[in-house]
Amino acid sequence: MYFPYTPSLVKFEHPKYWPKPVYNFEKNPLTEEGISLGRKLFYDPILSRDSSVSCSSCHLSYTAFTHVDHSLSHGINDSIGTRNSPSLINLAWHSSFMWDGAVNHLDVQALAPITHPEEMGEDLNNVIRKLKTTQGYSNMFYKAFKDSSITGEHLLKAISQFELTLISCNSKYDSVMRKTSTFTLQEENGYQIYQKNCISCHSEPLFTNNQFEKNGLPTDPLLNDFGRYNITKDPTDSLKFKVPTLRNIEFSFPYMHDGRFKNLSQVFKHYTSITSNSILLSSNEKVDLTAFLLTLTDKHFLFNKKHSFPRELFYPTNKE
Amino acid sequence: MRLLFIIIFLLNLQVSSGQNINRINVIVSPIVKSKDNSSSSNIGSIAVTNLKFYLTKISLTKSQKTVWQEENSYHLIDISNPKSLDFVLNLSKNIYFDAIHFLFGTDSLINISGVMGGDLDPIKGMYWAWNSGYINFKLEGEKNTIPFEFHLGGYTPPFQTVQKIKLKTNSKNNLIIELDIIKFLKQLDLTTQKKIMSPGKEAQQLAIMLSTLFSIRE
Repeated sequence: MYFPYTPSLVKFEHPKYWPKPVYNFEKNPLTEEGISLGRKLFYDPILSRDSSVSCSSCHLSYTAFTHVDHSLSHGINDSIGTRNSPSLINLAWHSSFMWDGAVNHLDVQALAPITHPEEMGEDLNNVIRKLKTTQGYSNMFYKAFKDSSITGEHLLKAISQFELTLISCNSKYDSVMRKTSTFTLQEENGYQIYQKNCISCHSEPLFTNNQFEKNGLPTDPLLNDFGRYNITKDPTDSLKFKVPTLRNIEFSFPYMHDGRFKNLSQVFKHYTSITSNSILLSSNEKVDLTAFLLTLTDKHFLFNKKHSFPRELFYPTNKE
Repeated sequence: MRLLFIIIFLLNLQVSSGQNINRINVIVSPIVKSKDNSSSSNIGSIAVTNLKFYLTKISLTKSQKTVWQEENSYHLIDISNPKSLDFVLNLSKNIYFDAIHFLFGTDSLINISGVMGGDLDPIKGMYWAWNSGYINFKLEGEKNTIPFEFHLGGYTPPFQTVQKIKLKTNSKNNLIIELDIIKFLKQLDLTTQKKIMSPGKEAQQLAIMLSTLFSIRE
């Protein structure tokens, strides 16, 4: 490519009444070409050692970018990891990533699954070597970054650009907040119960406070996962995990860092029976709370064609 | 008599301190081979198979005042890549300096700013995927057939591994910066301390030890 190419900038849209995103877009401005490249990489199993696992293997668009059939995520060679894959929603507002905050910036998160022996089991140098010899990638890198050479920096920034577009802000709850819809009586009761019991950790509008909290889960003796403590070695961080979002909770089961709860009923049972700070919920209240949580389902997000498998990038028609 | 002393003193100042410089060739020369190869030595045989470390934020001072700073100052020194061992500092004008400063490692801002390119690209194998941050120094090899692996990193207080280095030098065109790895390895008891792969007190202690082993070859 010898003619100059300017990628087209994309504005990062979000509701005006939400807090400011923490991601530094100046260092990695969103462009059509960057997002497109990131999306292709996200769905491409070439990132894994034996080309069997892609990001989408554990982060499926229709189920809130997590997967629902495993409590612990699987990797290459049917290896099982130690954690449940988190949903990828509204990442521009997160300053820490992974259940224990092992990753401190979105741009370096993908390094972790790509290089983990029980996830994609690959080496960054190998990924780049493979991309260089795969038809089409050098061109996409050139268009996105004015550089066809394919570097680790650009690979990771492209994946970030796609992930940043995964914004969920059009659920029924959001329309109620914008006064274009109203809750049913059940949902309204559920909203009150949520505000009374859940809001300190799962705070609006992101439905997470992005902090590490302890919620009384006993340790699984086989996994011995002490959460945030593993990273900070601070004893007060023992058993603290990153608060996940409740958005699209209808589709992001199983729940908790190790996927131990199959459904919301089991989650409620946990919170109503822990020894300290348990909450009281009658059967009716559980039904109402569930009704409210279902209003956090955002079908625009889940079925957005721009988020799903990009057929046209993998199987281009003759026109392209 | 006193006048004579004053004249000699002033002449010495002029002759030994150097000239105004607008370009410096820097060669980084880690000492990775023991000078003493005799069989009677009780040091044993040391073989360094991998040595990589960051030198960043290079600046020059005169009488403790900064007279020049390098922009985008990030150098990955890698003994397996000879090109990385020498680089040029292009000063925009003639500078007179008496000390060179740099960071041994990467500052904390770089460690929380996500992904970068060039010598800071994670492809260089100097970035921890599962505990975000740079590996400031990597040393691997064998001593008396005992393998050692020192990966020193970590930026969160109180165990930051980055070290500020100041080396006094004459103002001249060619600077050779040495790092005495052999002396470092001799100071360690490898039977008890041969592998470090995570941040913490030990990593910091070793980084501090290494920071005392930089020098300018005159």
